[in-house]
Amino acid sequence: MLNRRNFLKAGAGLALAAAFPARAAAGAGHVVIIGGGVGGATAAKHLKLTNPALRVTVIEANRSYIRPYGSSEVLTGHVGMDDLVVSYDALKSKYGVEFVFDTVTGFDPDRKQVRTAGRQTVAYDKLIVSPGISLQYQAIPGYSAAVAETRAPSGWIPGSQTALLAQQLKAMRPGGTFVIVAPPNPYRCPPGPYERGALVTEWMRRHNPSGKVVILDPKDSFVTDATMQLGWHRLYGYDIPDDYLSDMPADVDNRGKPSPIEWVRAKDGGTTERIDARSLTVTTRGGAVKADVLNIVPPMKAGKLAFDMGLTDASGWCPVDRRTFESSVHKDVFVIGDASIADAMPKSGFAANTQAKVTARAVAAQLAGRAPGEPVWGNTCYALAGSNYGLFVADVFRLKDGKIARVSDQRYLPLDASMAKIRLGAAYQQAWLKTFTEDCFA
Amino acid sequence: MGTLMKSLVFACAALAAAIHPAHAAEPTGEAMAATCAGCHGTQGRLGTVEFMPLAGMAEQEFVRAMQDFRSGKRQATLMGLVAGSFSDGEIEAMARYFAGVKPNAAK
Repeated sequence: MLNRRNFLKAGAGLALAAAFPARAAAGAGHVVIIGGGVGGATAAKHLKLTNPALRVTVIEANRSYIRPYGSSEVLTGHVGMDDLVVSYDALKSKYGVEFVFDTVTGFDPDRKQVRTAGRQTVAYDKLIVSPGISLQYQAIPGYSAAVAETRAPSGWIPGSQTALLAQQLKAMRPGGTFVIVAPPNPYRCPPGPYERGALVTEWMRRHNPSGKVVILDPKDSFVTDATMQLGWHRLYGYDIPDDYLSDMPADVDNRGKPSPIEWVRAKDGGTTERIDARSLTVTTRGGAVKADVLNIVPPMKAGKLAFDMGLTDASGWCPVDRRTFESSVHKDVFVIGDASIADAMPKSGFAANTQAKVTARAVAAQLAGRAPGEPVWGNTCYALAGSNYGLFVADVFRLKDGKIARVSDQRYLPLDASMAKIRLGAAYQQAWLKTFTEDCFA
Repeated sequence: MGTLMKSLVFACAALAAAIHPAHAAEPTGEAMAATCAGCHGTQGRLGTVEFMPLAGMAEQEFVRAMQDFRSGKRQATLMGLVAGSFSDGEIEAMARYFAGVKPNAAK
């Protein structure tokens, strides 16, 4: 494995004859994108939409994409693993995006070249890096990548661990406990751990009615916490904590009975100190919790490639110029998506999608000798408290004093929203999975 | 005559700009429209039925819908929150952009 110094050196000694020639026409040029996730794919498509004369090459390790958004629906059997697979064919055939299916192993910012494991040298005029997240398994004592692949899956980057977690849920003993260890901020998909808890609770009502879900949290709040808990209350008889009660609508009536879903906050001792993979026991500040299925969403940092390329700062994320997302470390290199430091914007697919569009326009403008325009970004995270119970957070973001700021004040479905709107929210969540995938990849 | 008309048009445009100065930091209609695409389709050209396709929508229809979402006159799930984040001028710029996009053929 290459460490960072070797990685940069591997880029530095490259042959002069680059495999790809530099710009062909005025306003055109070669934009190379590393990473074919939501950010990278959207950037590629929008670069070609903005200026079809641009040459756009995506370097991506995998032949197809497995979408993380909506992947908790695999646990309940609502969709299968195959339904998460997204093809790159439309980006190639409809938009003329070129793909190099390979792993980046070297980077020379001075010569503006990257090198791959397959010994290809790719020269760029502008480089967009969309490296996603890395899961910090080792940050939790007793946890590791090996444990995540066998005993206690994370399933936060969808793949074998998602399938394993679905199997473990199905095989769980009657009356067992499904424990979710939620991550500290910042992390990918802020409502995700709580939606997962809700969907598993709903599934157990039919398939394992005496089973329960316990969410152990190192935080005291989360995005959509009020609307999500209201859904849990209405659907599963969850008691809403006192500090959320004052804003709740009139139908809320805590029964004081055990609920099949429990949220243990930091202030109630929910912070995980260590886990024992053999016995599936989580030791929290509040005591030991024995799991039958243990799902750990570990702390996160920028994707490994961002570290290898030297794009991160001490926080473990990538500092960028907020207008264009050009790296604060390397000129002509842009970092988008979850790995970037984007102030008020969450680490979500929708955020990465709008970042990619702003950056694609900025890159196309720069190559044409124009100044980048005024940016605007958006985010909508739909989430489910049950398969017919939808909620969301929706934001518009703009540049204010060099930082990305939220301009919308109302963000959530009002707590007194009608059931018709709540059902509509769930229908929109399902529709969005399709329309969003199309906007990024087709 | 032609020159006079042009001058008049130019003068009116300049006057309008003086009365409603372009916001120092206003994104283009296209840039704002890109934030709609995650639900409403790339360039508003949605080929499926779940959300309203915006491509080819008459400018007035778009402007009225956004203003009604913003004021609460029109019921919505989240469009009220989104519409509230854009000024009248910005809504008009988005309306001009979407009106100029060829709608997707029905699937």
